[in-house]
Amino acid sequence: MIPVVPQPDPLALPAPAWLLWALLLLTFFLHVIPMNLVLGGSIIGAIARVRGRRSDRPHEAHLAHLIVKAMPVLISATVTLGVAALLFLQVLYGRVFFVSAVLMGWWWLSVIGLLIVTYYAAYLLAMREAGLGASGTVLAWLVAAVVGVIALIYGNNMTLMLKPAEMVARYAADGGGSQLNLLDRTLLPRHLHMVLGAIAVSGLAITVLGALRRAQDPAFSQWALRYGAFICTAATVVNIFAGLWWLAALPRDVLLKFMGGDMRAMGELLAGILLTMTGAGHTVLAVTAKRPGVMAAISAATLLAGIAMMLMTRDAIRRFSLGLAGFQPVNWVAPQWGPIAIFGVLLLVAAGTVIWMTRALGRTQERGRRP
Amino acid sequence: MNYPVWDIPSGGLLIAVIAILHVFVSHFAVGGGFYLVLLERKARRGSDVPLLDFAKRLSRFFILLTLVFGAISGVGIWFIIGLVHPQATSALINTFVWGWAIEWTFFAIEIAAAMVYYYGWDRLSARLHMAVGWIYVAAAWLSLVVINGILTYMLTPGRWPLTRGFWDAFFNETYWPALFARTFAAIGLAGLYAIWTAAWLPDAALKARIARDAAWRWVLPMAIAIPLSLVWYLAAAAGAGVPVAEILGARDGGPAAVLTAVFSTGTDTGYPVAQRAAWWVIVAASVLTLLTIVLAAIRSRSYGKPLAGVLMILGLLAMGGSEWVREDLRKPWVIGQYMFVNALRLPAPAGAPAPPEAFVQRFGADRFTVDAVNAAGVLKSSVWVRPVPDHLLAPNDYAGRAEHQGRELFRALCASCHTIDGYLAIRPLVRGKGPEALNGVLSRLASPVDASGGASAWNALPVHVKTWRGRRMPPFAGTDEERQLLAGYLALIGGAEPAALGPPAPSADIGKDYYDTNCAACHGPEGLAPFDARGRKPAEFYEMIGRLPAINDMMPAFEGTEEQRKALAEHLASLPGQTPKGGAR
Repeated sequence: MIPVVPQPDPLALPAPAWLLWALLLLTFFLHVIPMNLVLGGSIIGAIARVRGRRSDRPHEAHLAHLIVKAMPVLISATVTLGVAALLFLQVLYGRVFFVSAVLMGWWWLSVIGLLIVTYYAAYLLAMREAGLGASGTVLAWLVAAVVGVIALIYGNNMTLMLKPAEMVARYAADGGGSQLNLLDRTLLPRHLHMVLGAIAVSGLAITVLGALRRAQDPAFSQWALRYGAFICTAATVVNIFAGLWWLAALPRDVLLKFMGGDMRAMGELLAGILLTMTGAGHTVLAVTAKRPGVMAAISAATLLAGIAMMLMTRDAIRRFSLGLAGFQPVNWVAPQWGPIAIFGVLLLVAAGTVIWMTRALGRTQERGRRP
Repeated sequence: MNYPVWDIPSGGLLIAVIAILHVFVSHFAVGGGFYLVLLERKARRGSDVPLLDFAKRLSRFFILLTLVFGAISGVGIWFIIGLVHPQATSALINTFVWGWAIEWTFFAIEIAAAMVYYYGWDRLSARLHMAVGWIYVAAAWLSLVVINGILTYMLTPGRWPLTRGFWDAFFNETYWPALFARTFAAIGLAGLYAIWTAAWLPDAALKARIARDAAWRWVLPMAIAIPLSLVWYLAAAAGAGVPVAEILGARDGGPAAVLTAVFSTGTDTGYPVAQRAAWWVIVAASVLTLLTIVLAAIRSRSYGKPLAGVLMILGLLAMGGSEWVREDLRKPWVIGQYMFVNALRLPAPAGAPAPPEAFVQRFGADRFTVDAVNAAGVLKSSVWVRPVPDHLLAPNDYAGRAEHQGRELFRALCASCHTIDGYLAIRPLVRGKGPEALNGVLSRLASPVDASGGASAWNALPVHVKTWRGRRMPPFAGTDEERQLLAGYLALIGGAEPAALGPPAPSADIGKDYYDTNCAACHGPEGLAPFDARGRKPAEFYEMIGRLPAINDMMPAFEGTEEQRKALAEHLASLPGQTPKGGAR
């Protein structure tokens, strides 16, 4: 099969490719953090809700409550930051992305409906938590399941777009948009790796929460430190195997790049593994540390750095796969410096405004908690 | 053609449904924030607790609707246009990635401010809460300011086709009137949503206060401001070369002529869907205005959810109809002066930035312009055309080729708008028509003309598009053989017998050939105006053929040779009289 990549538009790229690539990576990194908390947090929250029904597990019930309250904001942050990443993805890789999206058209479009359903379910839980009873548990599991399905649909598109050689035959077989990429060897380990990673990050968030609540609620704090560390380390350890599975499932030519064929890619992969393991390990140290906040901060910093490296690895897989399939970057660039500068300034303004508003809300929340 | 076509019945309709629902909420997201902050200020200044409680209640409804449905359906528009029209989406993203990035910064502030505003009712000081509200209002409106540039560019691309400059595209001819119209619509919708939310209030006095204020100060002033801004918008579009009058079937672009055309029945010209949508806009907006006056004047204390619901539905119809008309005004373009709805591009005009040699070496010359596809053919240009298995194509099986390859041509060229039997169905349009007649129509779908109507070229900007009977179709692009195959396929859909199809071969009757190819589509037995000779002599027809546009301005001028003219006159005189369909002549 001959790889088919559509011809680029007869329009210049509106910015240097490195800038678009850097913004793709940056916005995707920012998206991944709340996305992990939604994906992992919704699973942990649903489990905590079930386990917290017993009167001897008040902390789990409290954790479930906190997750329910945070979920609408987290979904909102995930969507908002994800939109930016998808924009830059389409500028750089639209030629393959649009084709794979058409092949799985109905699935891809269903993301919108699924998002609306899960978002409203999350709001319903947050606003009516006490009155929902058993149906609240069903809703919590619904949110977790739907978020997992959305992740799987995204995974299908992100892997399918890497296979231009299959596109024409697939389209000839079915152009109605009902295809998925389920038979791809990398899909399942990739999805598993992402979900376990999300659970690990959510475990880290519980550890950080424990450290932050130390003075306010020592019993919950100690439990959260332990519980978060357990989840983070357990998920990370299992994830090593999922990651190796994913690596082994990669096409041979791509795999060889990580085995010394491309030293930068190999270095990023190793750094990602080491940093995430270091981050997870520090959540355990936080449990017994005199100043668990410091350990939690180190853990968060190293784990986030590890995620950044993992995203570089993910990007390398994409670049290698598409490069081997004959995808060539557009070599006509006419930067729109005026709009780029306005965007740069507004990005800082937006970040400053959002931080100022959320801190103003946070300050009053703190005041409200003080006796 | 460059991208695969998503094989679904009417993707365009899917875009319309998602987009209309989205704009009905997203404009409320702009105006509703403004309404909320002013309502809060009024309640706080007057220490009006019931009014403040209503503001809180409205803010809850507001975030549930705008942050969830509004925001996600906005992403939904992006998803669906990428699926239904990847080529145009790609061009938009290439041109406006920084526009969208700038809009995204406002969107991010808007989302965060809405959440802080909602969660901050009891946590923030009144001053801080109001400040967050005003930040929301500014961010939401600025988001509209940016998106408006992208939307209007698609209809009136300004100087962009020549310069490819971001600001030339952004501040185009319809930018300002559209911005005013959308801002007014947002304000009007805020009042409408307030009436809707107040319908739930048990306190009749409070309900009446809110409803009257929303009606007199928010909805009804916009009933004047929006039409005025729309007249300005249509005039600006017409000034930029959009054939507003032709599309709406009006004699000229003036408001009176447009209104007359919209409310006349059986218009043979223009774009019927646009005319129908405009009818709905005017009727829904008028009834909405009248009912709002009734509600504010005599039913403000007692109106209930049914009346409020009717107002909301009328608002949705008016808003949706307006968006529909805007989309239809753009036909046959998807991006004015650059790309047709079937993803064919114009050849690069002289003076426009050309790709560097390295780009052309890597990717080749543009294969998807009208001229390039005319030269190479659709079946060779597009890799997404499904090959027809050999066993389905017997040697010299013309009908078989028309059925299979014609279908692929239909998918590549027509399916972005037309379905076979559903929305914008093709079957009723081709029923009973022969391949020659359809071939004639296809060859005339669209051609480039200059401002005075003279023949022009596709790369001579600004391109004016002369379309068959003003139906605003894109041109057929492909080889002559492909056009005949597509005509054959359409004839089969229309009920022609496969045996009647065959490779077009000139017959001995020149007049009949000319008639079949150029006249029969409209004047055949199933046409709009079946031909009736009524005993006229060939000489009389010969004379009439020389002044066809004067007889009916929908008829093109005769373009054949002297020999064909004489033969055609003979053939017309030999035709038996036919009963005009529906009384049309």
